[in-house]
Amino acid sequence: MTKRIDMTGIGKSFFATRALDRVDFSCVSGEVHALVGLNGAGKSTLMKVLGGVIACDEGAITVDGVAVRIASPADATGLGIAMIHQEYSLINELTVAANIFLGRELYLGRTPFLDKREMARQVRTQLDRFGLTLDPARPVRELNSGEKQIVEIIRALMSNSWLIVMDEPTSALSEEDKERLFEFIRRMKAEGVAIIYISHHMPEIFGIAEQVTVMRDGKIVLSERTGDTTEAAVIQSMTGTELDDFVKPPKQIQGDVLLEVATLSKPQHYENVSFSLRRGEILVLTGLRGCGAPELAKAIFGLDGGYSGTVNYRGKPLSPGRGPAVSVRDGMGLVTENRDKNGILAPLSVRDNIALPYLEKATRGGLIDGGRIDALVAKAIRDTSTKTASAAQEIRFLSGGNKQKICFSRWLDDGLELLILLEPTRGIDVHAKADIYRIIEDLALRGVGILVLSYEIDEVMLLADRVITLYQGRSVAEYAHPHFNKDRMLADMAGVGTQAATAH
Amino acid sequence: MTSISTSTTPRLSGLSLRYLVLLGLIVIASVGFGLANENFYSLTNFGILLRSIAVLFLVSMGMTFVMLTGGIDLSVGSNVAFSGGVGVITLTTTGSAPLGFAAAVLAGMAIGAINGVFIGRLRLSAFMVSLATYALARGLALVIYDANSINVSNAAFLWLGGVSWGSMPVVIPFVVVVFVGLSVLLYNTPFGRNVYAAGANFNTSFVLGRRPERTLVWIYVLSGALAGLSAIVTVGRVSSGQPWSGLYLEFDAITAVILGGTSLFGGRGRLLGTILGVLLYGIIINGLVLTGTNPYLQSLIKGMILLGVVLLDTWTQRGKTS
Repeated sequence: MTKRIDMTGIGKSFFATRALDRVDFSCVSGEVHALVGLNGAGKSTLMKVLGGVIACDEGAITVDGVAVRIASPADATGLGIAMIHQEYSLINELTVAANIFLGRELYLGRTPFLDKREMARQVRTQLDRFGLTLDPARPVRELNSGEKQIVEIIRALMSNSWLIVMDEPTSALSEEDKERLFEFIRRMKAEGVAIIYISHHMPEIFGIAEQVTVMRDGKIVLSERTGDTTEAAVIQSMTGTELDDFVKPPKQIQGDVLLEVATLSKPQHYENVSFSLRRGEILVLTGLRGCGAPELAKAIFGLDGGYSGTVNYRGKPLSPGRGPAVSVRDGMGLVTENRDKNGILAPLSVRDNIALPYLEKATRGGLIDGGRIDALVAKAIRDTSTKTASAAQEIRFLSGGNKQKICFSRWLDDGLELLILLEPTRGIDVHAKADIYRIIEDLALRGVGILVLSYEIDEVMLLADRVITLYQGRSVAEYAHPHFNKDRMLADMAGVGTQAATAH
Repeated sequence: MTSISTSTTPRLSGLSLRYLVLLGLIVIASVGFGLANENFYSLTNFGILLRSIAVLFLVSMGMTFVMLTGGIDLSVGSNVAFSGGVGVITLTTTGSAPLGFAAAVLAGMAIGAINGVFIGRLRLSAFMVSLATYALARGLALVIYDANSINVSNAAFLWLGGVSWGSMPVVIPFVVVVFVGLSVLLYNTPFGRNVYAAGANFNTSFVLGRRPERTLVWIYVLSGALAGLSAIVTVGRVSSGQPWSGLYLEFDAITAVILGGTSLFGGRGRLLGTILGVLLYGIIINGLVLTGTNPYLQSLIKGMILLGVVLLDTWTQRGKTS
C-alpha cells in the first residue's frame, strides 16, 4: 500500500520576508526525498509547516488526495508524520524499551504494574525487522548518538508513523554509525516508509535519495529524480547565478609566516591538515558543521591536546594542550562561537569584561592602575563602536552584536599577534556584522594574523584573503583572493567528488 | 570609578541601594534594642558586641571571596577548632607565641588547600568537598585535643583576642586592617578581578587565560587562613583552646554574606556589604541576648533571617532578568 503526501502552493511570510513562496512538495512512501538549500532558503520553515509547528498563510496539504489540516504537532503525529531532530528527545535514565513506550506503556492485565517483558519483546521484533541489534533493556544514557537516533526512529515507527523527517541525521555520527543508518533507511524504504532527508552532503543524497529538491529564497529551484541530475547541478542551483559575488579589493600581504600547521590529525575530528598563515593575512576555514575546523582552531589555541602533527607559531613549535593562559601570554586571542556560554562574563560590567586580559599589563607594584584601564576600555569601546550606556553597565543588558564587539575588544591591544575567530558574526544583525568585518580588516592591516572559521559562504567571500575548504576533517582545496569560486567552494564543502561509503 | 560614563543623573546601583537599606536596618535594630534594654547603648556593651562578632567578621570576609567565585566553604567553623588546637599545642610545647600564631594560620591554610585542590583543580562540588572537610577538621580537632579543652595563660598569645584598650577590644582595629588589606586585594589586583571572573563564568575566564582553577585554590587557602586567624582570636577571648569552638560559625558567616548582598551564584557582591551584614546580624543576635529572649529561640530566628534574605534575593534577581 503506497501513501503519499502533497503540499501545494504553500506560502508563508514573516513580516516583510517571504519565507515560502508557493512551494509544491510531495513525498511518496518507499522513497527518500532529499531537501537541500543554504541557510535561510526556507527548508526549516517548510518542515515546520509540515510538522504543525507554524501555520502557513496559504496552500493545501493532502494525504492520499484527501485534504488535511495540520494545526499542531499533535495533528502531524496523528497523521503519521514524525520529525527526528538533531537533539534527541529521549530520557537518559530510562531503558530503550521504556523510552519507546513512554506515555503508552503496556500493563500486566489490569494491574498497575508494567509488562516489561512484553514491551521488550515488541521492541526486539521491530529491531529485527530492520536488521538492527540493540538491547531493549539498556539505559539510553549508555548509547552513542547513532544508537539514540535509531531509538528515536523506532519509537516513531512503533507509533504508526509512515513519514520520517530527518534533519542532518549524519552530522554527529561516526563512519560506522552512518553506514548502519543508511542500511536502516534502505530497510525502511523497503517497508514502505517515506523519508524526507535534509542534508548538504552530496554523496549521501545521491547514495540514498530517489528525489532531490533544492530550495533558494523560499522557492523551489530544482526538483528532479537523482538519476536525472548531477551533484554539480544541485550545487549550482543552491547558490544561483544572479547573485553578485562581492570580491574585496586586492591587498598585498608581505608579513612573514606567523603560524604553520603541518599534518595535524586527531581521530574523528580532523585528518592530515596543513596550512600556514602570514602576519596581516585573513585565512578562512570553511565547511559544513562537523567539518572539524572548530576542533582544529581549539587545538591551535592550546585548549585541546591529543593530536598528532605540529603547530609552529613565531617559528617555534607549540606544545599540545598547553592551556589558554600560555597562548594569551604569547599574543594569541580567541573569540568563541558561543558568546553566552563562554564568551562573556554576564554579571560583570562592560569594563571588567574588556579589561580582563590586560590586567597584568596595567599594574604598578602589583596594583591595578585604574586610570590606564579606563583609558584602554574607553578606546576599545570607541574603536569597535560598541553601544553601551557606560562602561559600568553590566554586559548582560547589551544586544548580541554589542556583546560580540566586546568579545573582540578584549584583544585589540598592541600585544596581539594571532586572533582566532569562531563564527564571528553568528546571531548578530547586519550593522554589527559590518562593524565586525571592519574591525577584522583593521586588525589585519595592523599585521595581526587572523584565522577564521565560518559556515556562511557569503561571509567567507567577503572576508578572506585565502580560503581552505574542509570536508569531514580533511582539507579539500585552497583558494587565494581574488580567485574565489562560490560554486566550487560549496561543492568542496558538500563532499562532491569524494568517495563516500554511501554508494549502493 | 569610570570616566566615560555618559549619564549625568546619579543612579543608585542595586548594591548601593542594598547598603543603604542595611544601614537603615542597623539603625532601626539598634534603636529598638536600645528602647528595650538601656544597657544596649553602654560603651561596654558595644565593646562586648564587637568582640563577639570579630571572629564572624574575619570568617565572613573569607566566605565573601569564596561565594564570589560561586562556591561555599562549610569547613570554616571546624577549621577554627582544628587550627586553634594546632596553635595551642604548638604554643604549649614550644612556649613561643609567634610559633603558635604561625602554626594556627598554617593549619587553617592546610585545610583550605585541601578544599582548594579538590574544588579548583579536580572540579568537585564545593558543597560536597567542604562538607567532607567540615567533618574531617572537627574530627582532627577532637583527636588533637583528646576531646578536652586546654587552658592558655601566655599573655602574648591571648593579646589579640583578649585585650581591650579602654572599651575598644584590640581585635577591632585588627579586623579593620584585614578589611582594608582584603579590599585592596579584591579591587585593586589582578587576583581580585580573577575572583570575580571565575565566579561570573568559569569557562570564559579559562578561555581568556585567567587560570580560574588556580584562583579557586588560592581562594580556599585564603578562607582557611582567615579561619586560622579567627582561631587565635577565639582562644584569646576565652583563654583556652576548645575542640568544639567555631560550632555553627559557617552558618552565621553564610547568612551574613548573603545578607550583605553577595550573590549565591557568584560574580556579584562586595566586602562592604559583608561588613554591614555581619553588623546587622550581630546586633540582632546580641540584642536578643540582652533582651533576655529565650536562647532556644535564637536558632529559630537565625533560620528565619536566612530564609527571608534568600527569598528576597531570588525575587529581586527574577525582577531584574525578566
